[in-house]
Amino acid sequence: MATLTRQDINFGQVVADILCEFLEVAIHLILYVREVYPSGIFQKRKKYNVPVQMSCHPELNQYIQDTLHCIKPLIEKNDAEKVVVVIMDKEHHPVERFVFEMSQPPVLSISPDTLLSHVEQLLRAFILKISVCDAVLNNNPPGCSFTVLVHTREAATRNMEKVQVIKDFPWIVADEQEVHMKEPRLIPLKTMTSDIVKMQLYVEERAQKT
Amino acid sequence: MDELYLDNIDEYVNDHDKIVTYKWLSLTLGVHVNTAKQMLYHYLDHKRKESSAQLHATYLVSGKFVDKGQTVSLILQYEESLYCKARMSLIVSVHVYSVQKALLRDSSPLYSVDYDAVRDHLQSCAKYSAIRCTSAVPLSSVELQQARERQPAPTPEPVVKVPSVNGEASHPSKPSTKSQKGIMGMFSNKAAPKHQDSVTEVKLEQKEVEPPKSKAAAKVSPALNFFGNQKTKKPNKSDKADESLQSSSRLEQQQHQSSPPEKKPEAAAEESTKGSKKESRSKTKRTVDSDSEEEKMDKKKRRRIKKPEPDSSDEDSEKFFIISVPGGTKIRKRRRVLKPKTFVDDEGCIVTEKVYESESYSEAEDEAPVKQAPTKCSTAKLHAAGNNKEEEKKSQKKTSANTNKGTKQASIMGFFQKK
Repeated sequence: MATLTRQDINFGQVVADILCEFLEVAIHLILYVREVYPSGIFQKRKKYNVPVQMSCHPELNQYIQDTLHCIKPLIEKNDAEKVVVVIMDKEHHPVERFVFEMSQPPVLSISPDTLLSHVEQLLRAFILKISVCDAVLNNNPPGCSFTVLVHTREAATRNMEKVQVIKDFPWIVADEQEVHMKEPRLIPLKTMTSDIVKMQLYVEERAQKT
Repeated sequence: MDELYLDNIDEYVNDHDKIVTYKWLSLTLGVHVNTAKQMLYHYLDHKRKESSAQLHATYLVSGKFVDKGQTVSLILQYEESLYCKARMSLIVSVHVYSVQKALLRDSSPLYSVDYDAVRDHLQSCAKYSAIRCTSAVPLSSVELQQARERQPAPTPEPVVKVPSVNGEASHPSKPSTKSQKGIMGMFSNKAAPKHQDSVTEVKLEQKEVEPPKSKAAAKVSPALNFFGNQKTKKPNKSDKADESLQSSSRLEQQQHQSSPPEKKPEAAAEESTKGSKKESRSKTKRTVDSDSEEEKMDKKKRRRIKKPEPDSSDEDSEKFFIISVPGGTKIRKRRRVLKPKTFVDDEGCIVTEKVYESESYSEAEDEAPVKQAPTKCSTAKLHAAGNNKEEEKKSQKKTSANTNKGTKQASIMGFFQKK
C-alpha cells in the first residue's frame, strides 16, 4: 500500500486531470440532456467504456476546455469547493443549477490495484445518472444558455485574478442573481466516495421555470 | 411470492430512478432472461392499468421488413415499435427491452446499464442467457497454457477469419494488472482504452471506437479487417466466462444468416438508435464502406501517379528557356547561392565579395539559370560611391555575417592590388 500525501504534486495533478476530464464529459452531457443546444451538434463518443454525447461545435468545445483549464489549478490544490453548471433562461435568471461538490482527503492512502477501476465505475454511474435526470426535472423554457461557476475555499481566486491562466479568458466574480435562485427545489442525483475524491451531484431547480 | 418482483421493479424504477433492462434484471434477480422479459411486461401492464406514474419503455423488435425483406432488430419506443411492426412482413420477436421513468434520447444509457451489470457478474453473465452451445466447454489449465504459448504466433497473420480471431484473442487470460494499465492509459489521455471485459463488450466497444455507424455484433468482422487485429488481442479478465461468451458469439455469427437469436439482436440493438437505422442495411453499408475504403486506397495511388503530369505541362509552356531533359520530372526551384561580386568601393579599391543570391534552377544541372534576383544589399553596393554612403556601410555590415571569410580574403587581395 503506497501512501501519498498532498505534497506529491504528481498525484494532485492526476486527480485534477481525472476530475477535469469527467467535468468536461458531464458538462457536454448536461447540455445534451437538458437541450440547451440542439441535439444535432452532438455526436457519440466513448468515455469510461460507455457511449457519451459530446458536442462537435469547436467554439463551444473551446469554451468548455478553457473554463476547465482555469479550474484545474484550483482542483489541484483542493481549493475548488463546488463547480456549478448554471442553465439560465433568456432573461439570464437561473432555472437549473447542476452542482458538483467535491473534496479531496488531505492524506491519501491508495492501493494501486483497485483505485482507478473503482473510480471509473463511480464516474460512469454519474454519467448514467445525468442521462436520466430528465425524469426528475421539469422541462426548461426555450432559448436557454449556460455558464459555469466555481465556488472556492477562502481566497483562492485572488491568484486567479492576478495571473490570467488563459489569455483573454478572464474570470469575474459572479452576480448575486446567478448564484442564488428563487425558491429552489433540491434534487440529489448521485454521491461518490473514493480514495482520491468525494463528490456529490445535485440539482437546484427553480419551482417555476416559465 | 409471485408478486414480489413487481415491487422490486417498482422500487428500482420509481425510487432509485434506474433504467431496468431485462438483462440487468435477470442478472440482479438471478432469473432467466425470458423470465425477466415477462416480468417487465407484467409490470408495465400492471402500471398501465393503474395509470399512475408515467413510465417509458423500450421494445426490441426483430423481423423482416416488407420493403426489401431486410432482417432487422431494433430498439424502439412504443410508438415507433407500432410503426415498425406495421411495416414488417415477418415479426420474429417483440419484447420489452427496458423500463424507465425518463424518456431516453438515445441508446447510450441502455448500454451503460448493461455494461455495469455484466461487469459485476462477469463470471456468470451467460448463466441466464438463452443462447447455449454444448461444445462450449471451458479450457483446462493445460490447454490454457498451450494457448498462451501459441498466442504470439497468430499476431503477424492478417485477419482473415474474424470469428476464429475473436475466439483466439480471448484464450489467453492475462492478469488484471494489464487491464489496469489499459484504464490508466485512458486516464492519461491516451488512445481509447484497450481493456476488454468480455468478447461481446469487445465487439460493442469496437463499434464505439469506429465513427458513428450502427453495426451489429457479427458485423464487426469486416471492420476489424481495416483496424487490424490489435484490438482483438487485448487481455481479458476471466477465462471461463469468456469461453462461454466466445462460443456464444461464434454461434451468433453462424446463426446470423437465419433468424437472429436473442443475444445478437440485443447486442446489435444496443448500438442501433431508436430511429430508422437497420441492421442489414448497416451490413450492406459495411460492405460498401469496405469497397469505398479500397477505392480510396486506389485513388490515393492514382493521385500519386497523377502528380508528375502537371509538371510536364509546365515544361511544355516554358520550353523557350528550358533545355529539355530526356525523361523524368523537372522541378524549378529557387536557391541561395554564394557568388563572388566585384565592385569599386568608396576608396576606389576594387573589392570582391561573396554574396548570397537567390536564383532559380531546376533539377538538371546543365540548364543555365534564367533569373537572378540579387539581394538588396548587393544592389546597394553596385551604386557608385558617394550617393548612399551610409546605406552602403549598413549593407556591408549586414552582409558581413554572411561573408566573413569573403571580406578577409578580399582585403588581402585588395592589399596586393593597391600596390
